[in-house]
Amino acid sequence: MCQELRVLNAVRNKNVGILLTYQQLQHLQVPVLIDRLLLQKLYWLAIHICQYLKMPDIEGASRVLAHWACDKVQQSGIEEEQLARAIAEKLGDTPGVSYSEIANKAIECGKVDLAIRLLGCELKAAEQVPLLLKMGRNQLALTKAIESGDTDLVYTVLLNLQERMPRGEFLMSIRTVPVACSLYLQFCREHNRPMLLELYYQEDNFQEEGNTRIADSYEDERFETRVSKLVATQDAFNKAKNECATKLTEEQIRLMRFQRKMEEETNKPFLDLSLHETMYKLIVENNQKGVEQLRKDFKVPDRRFWWMKILALSETGDWNELDRFSKSKKSPIGYEPFVEVCVKNRNFEEAQKYMGRVTPENLVRCYVKLGKLEQAAESALQSKNAEDLNFVLSKCPPSNRALFEKIQTMRNQLGAK
Amino acid sequence: MASHLSSGRINLSVLRESYRQEFLELLDKCKGTKALVWDGALTGPIDLIADYTLLKGHEVDRMWPLQYGRLPSSNVQNIIFITRAKSSLMDIIKDNVTKLDNDRKELHVFFVPRRSLLCEKKLKDLGIYGLFASVEEYSLDIIPIDCDVLSMETELSFRNCYLENDRTSLFLAAKALMTVQALYGVIPNIFSKGDCADEVVDLMMRMRRELGGRDMQVPPQIDNLLILDRIVDPLTPLLTQLTYEGLIDEIFGISNTFAKFPPEKFNASAPGEASSDPKKIKLNSSDELFAEIRDRNFNAVGNVLSRKAKLISAQYDERHAAKTVGEMKQFVSKLPHIQAEKASLGSHTAIAELIKEETDTDEFRASLVATQEFLSGAETDKASPYIEDCIAKQEHLLKVLRLICIQCYCNCGFKPKLLDYYKREIIQTYGYQHLVTLHNLEKVGLLRTQGTVRSYATVRKSLKLLMEDVNEQNPNDISYVYSGYAPLSVRLAQLLHRPGWRGITEVLNVLPGKTREEFQQIPEWLRKRRASGSSVHSSGSEQKVTLVFFLGGVTFAEISALRFLSQMEDAPVDYLIATTKLINGKTWLDSLMDVFQAKPVNPF
Repeated sequence: MCQELRVLNAVRNKNVGILLTYQQLQHLQVPVLIDRLLLQKLYWLAIHICQYLKMPDIEGASRVLAHWACDKVQQSGIEEEQLARAIAEKLGDTPGVSYSEIANKAIECGKVDLAIRLLGCELKAAEQVPLLLKMGRNQLALTKAIESGDTDLVYTVLLNLQERMPRGEFLMSIRTVPVACSLYLQFCREHNRPMLLELYYQEDNFQEEGNTRIADSYEDERFETRVSKLVATQDAFNKAKNECATKLTEEQIRLMRFQRKMEEETNKPFLDLSLHETMYKLIVENNQKGVEQLRKDFKVPDRRFWWMKILALSETGDWNELDRFSKSKKSPIGYEPFVEVCVKNRNFEEAQKYMGRVTPENLVRCYVKLGKLEQAAESALQSKNAEDLNFVLSKCPPSNRALFEKIQTMRNQLGAK
Repeated sequence: MASHLSSGRINLSVLRESYRQEFLELLDKCKGTKALVWDGALTGPIDLIADYTLLKGHEVDRMWPLQYGRLPSSNVQNIIFITRAKSSLMDIIKDNVTKLDNDRKELHVFFVPRRSLLCEKKLKDLGIYGLFASVEEYSLDIIPIDCDVLSMETELSFRNCYLENDRTSLFLAAKALMTVQALYGVIPNIFSKGDCADEVVDLMMRMRRELGGRDMQVPPQIDNLLILDRIVDPLTPLLTQLTYEGLIDEIFGISNTFAKFPPEKFNASAPGEASSDPKKIKLNSSDELFAEIRDRNFNAVGNVLSRKAKLISAQYDERHAAKTVGEMKQFVSKLPHIQAEKASLGSHTAIAELIKEETDTDEFRASLVATQEFLSGAETDKASPYIEDCIAKQEHLLKVLRLICIQCYCNCGFKPKLLDYYKREIIQTYGYQHLVTLHNLEKVGLLRTQGTVRSYATVRKSLKLLMEDVNEQNPNDISYVYSGYAPLSVRLAQLLHRPGWRGITEVLNVLPGKTREEFQQIPEWLRKRRASGSSVHSSGSEQKVTLVFFLGGVTFAEISALRFLSQMEDAPVDYLIATTKLINGKTWLDSLMDVFQAKPVNPF
C-alpha cells in the first residue's frame, strides 16, 4: 500500500497532473494508470513505476518500451539507421517486446529500412516472416522461415511466392535453398505431379525422376501406356547412370510383354506377378516350355530355380515329377529341402525317400522334421554331436517320458566322455 | 487410472493431466452436445489422455471414425473433426461436410498437434473453410505411455527426415521438449549425437530465446538430456528383440500399450465375448506381473511365471490358516488382489505360450543364428545362402530386407556386385513394384556400397557390443536384451555418465553426425539442492535423472536395457525415455516402403 501511495504522490506532480485517490487507483488498476502516462508520453516515469511496483514485464516495462519505440519511430528528421540503433539499444533483449509491432508501425510511416532492421531483432519468426513478405523481402522471408524450423511457415512463404512470382523466377529463387526445394517437391508430390517431374528434370535428378515415373506407371490402366511409361523410366535411370535399375526396368518390360502373351493364350491372369510367381504358376500349370524360356531369358540362378520348382511340384502333389527332377542333376540346394517340402505337404512317405541323399550334418534335423526323434537322437549320438542331441531333446514333448529320458541318457553318455 | 504414470522417478501424470485439461477446455468451448469424428491415427494416442468415459462427461454423445461417405445422423449440436494436418484427410472432411443434412449443426476442426497453413488453404480451396465455427489446434506433442516412457507417436518421423528432407518432426520434437521443460523445469545439461539431434538442440535454444525468460518458474527435475539420432545406430532396431515385451511387439505388435492375441489360449473373460475375436490386452506397469517380466530376456520368463504360480497358490492356501474371524476378514479383503494376480498370471502364461510357439520354430532359430553370424562379422561380404533360401521360399519381404540390411551394416556396405545381386533377387522374386523401396533404403543408407571407411569392427570392439557368456536369468550387462548384443545406442547412453564421452571420442568420430554438448543457464535459486554429504543409501531422490530422446524411433528392448541400467547397484542416473515413435524392425522398415498396387489393366 505504501508503495502505491508513493506512486500516487509522484503523479500528483504538477508536470504530470494526475490526481487520483487511493480508492480510485484500486478501481482503475495500475495498468490503466500506466496507459494514461503513456498517452502523455511520460515514459521515464512510467518505467520507473513499473519497476518499483515489480510488475511482470509483459504488463509493465515491455509495454512501455514498445509504446515508446512506436512513438520514436514516428519521429521525422532522424535517419532510419540512427533510429534503429537507438531503439535497439534502449530495448536491448528485454523479453516480451514485440519488435514486429514496432516494425509494423515503421512500415506505416513508410520507413521500410527501419522496419527491416527492427525485424532483424524480432525473435519470433512467426511474426517476422509475414511482415517481411508484406514488404516484398522474399529471399529474406524464406531464409528466416527456414531458420525457424517451422515447416508450416516455410510453406506460407513458398505458396505466397508461387502465387506472386512468374514460374521461372519462382523456381530460380528456391533452387539454391535445399530445404525449400525439398518441401516444394513434397508439396508437388501430393498436389501437382506433372510439376514434380518437371522439377526433377530441371535439376537433372534422373534417379528421382525414375522413381516418380514408376509410381505413375502403376496409376495407369492401359497396358500400352504403362509400358511406354516404363520405357521413359528406363531412360531416366539410364541417364542417372543407375545400371542396375535400368536393367531391372528393361527386364520388367520384357516380363510384362511375356505375361500379356500368356494371358492371351491361356485366358488366366499373369500381369503384375513377379517373375518368380509367374514361373511358379507356369510349373503348376505344367507349362514346361514357358518355364524354360523364362529361366533362360532372365538368367534365373539355379538355387532359386530349384527351390521354386520343388515347392511348386510338392504343392501340386506331383511326387513322380519331383522324384525325377531330383535325379536330373546334382541338386544345388542339397536334398534336405526335398525332405522339407514333402513334410510341409504332409507326405512323410515321400520325404523318407530322400533321406538317403541327405548330408550327414543335416540328418538329425531331417529326422526331427519327419518326427522320428529316436532315430534323430541315435544319429546325433553316432556323430558325437552334443548340440544336436540337445536340439532333439528340445523337440521332444515332456509328456513322452520314456523317449525323453532315453535321449537324456544319450546326452549324458556324450557328456561323460 | 493414472497411478502407474505417477509411480516413476518423474511424475508423468502431471503431463497427462495438463494435456487432458487442454483437450477438455477445447471441447467445452463448443457448447452443447457433440459428436467427435476421429482420424484413426489419433484415437489410440488420445485415448491414453482422455478415455470415452471422461469425454461422455463433457457432453460427447457420439464418436465416429473419419472416413468417406455420409456421417450417421444424430441429434448432436456440434460435430467436431479431430485430425492430423494431412492434406488427404481434408478431402474426407469435405466429403462428410457436403453430405450433411442442412440441420444447423455447428462444425469444428481440431488439428493435432498443429494446425497447418496448407490444410487450411486446402479447406478454403475445397470451399468449406467458411462453414466451420471454429478451427483449433490441440498441441498434444508427446504422450506419457508409462511411468518412464514418453512418445510422440509420429509415424513417419524417420522417413520424413532422412528420405524426404522434411524437418517438421524435428520442430515438433523440439516443441515437445519445450513442453516437458515447462512442466519439469529447464534441463541444464544437453548432449546430442547425430545431425538431426543437433538441429533439435538448435531449435530448442531458439525456442527458449523466443520465450524470453518466461520459463524460469519451475525447479528442474531432470538433470541431463541426451538426444540420439536413429541413424547413429540403425542396427539395433533391425535385430529381433528377445525381451518379453520386445517379442510381443515383434510377433503381435503393441499399439498405444494394447496388443491383440489369437483368442484360443485365453479363457473368455466376459460371457458375451465372441471366442473368435482377438483378445485385446493392455500392457503397462499397472499390471504388477507384467512390470516384473516385461524387461527380462524371454528365456527367463518361464521361471518367474512358475514362481508366481506357487506364490499365488500359497496365498490361496492361507485361508486354511485363518482361524479367527479377524483373520478370515483379512484374507477376504486380500482376495480381490489375489484374484487379479491370478488373472494376470493366466494371461501372461497364455501369451508366453504363444510366443514360445513362434520362437521354437525352425525359421525363428535359423534367423537368429544367421543374425549372430553377421554380427560377429563372419562372411558378411558374400551372398548369404540363408538369405538366398529365404528369398527362394518367398518368406516375408520385411524379414528378408531386415536380414540384408543387417548384413550390409555389419559389412560396412556391399561391393556393388553383391548389392546388385540382392536387388535383382528381390525384384525377380517379389516383383518390380518394390524397386522404389529398395531405392529408399539406399537413399537412407541402410543399403549401400562400400565406402573407404570400414568401422563396424572398431565400434563393435571398443564399445564391447558383442558379449559372450550372457546370463539370461540374472544378467550383469545390457547385452542380455539381444542375448549377446548390447544395443549401440544404449551403450552410448551408458558411457555418457561413466566414464563420459571424452573417453570415446574416437568411436564418436566414426559414428555418423555431429556430437554436441550444451549448457542451459538456470538461476541459482532454482537449482536442485543436493544434501551435503549425500549417502549412497539416501531415499533415492538424490539420484540424477537423464532423459534420453530417440529421434526416429526406439525399441522396447532398448527401453528395457535403459531400465536395467537404472536398477543396477551404484547406477549413476535414473533414465527417462522419450521418442518420436515406438518401433520394431518390421514397422520401421515398413515406414520406408513405397507400395504400389497396379490398377486392373484395361485389356484394350
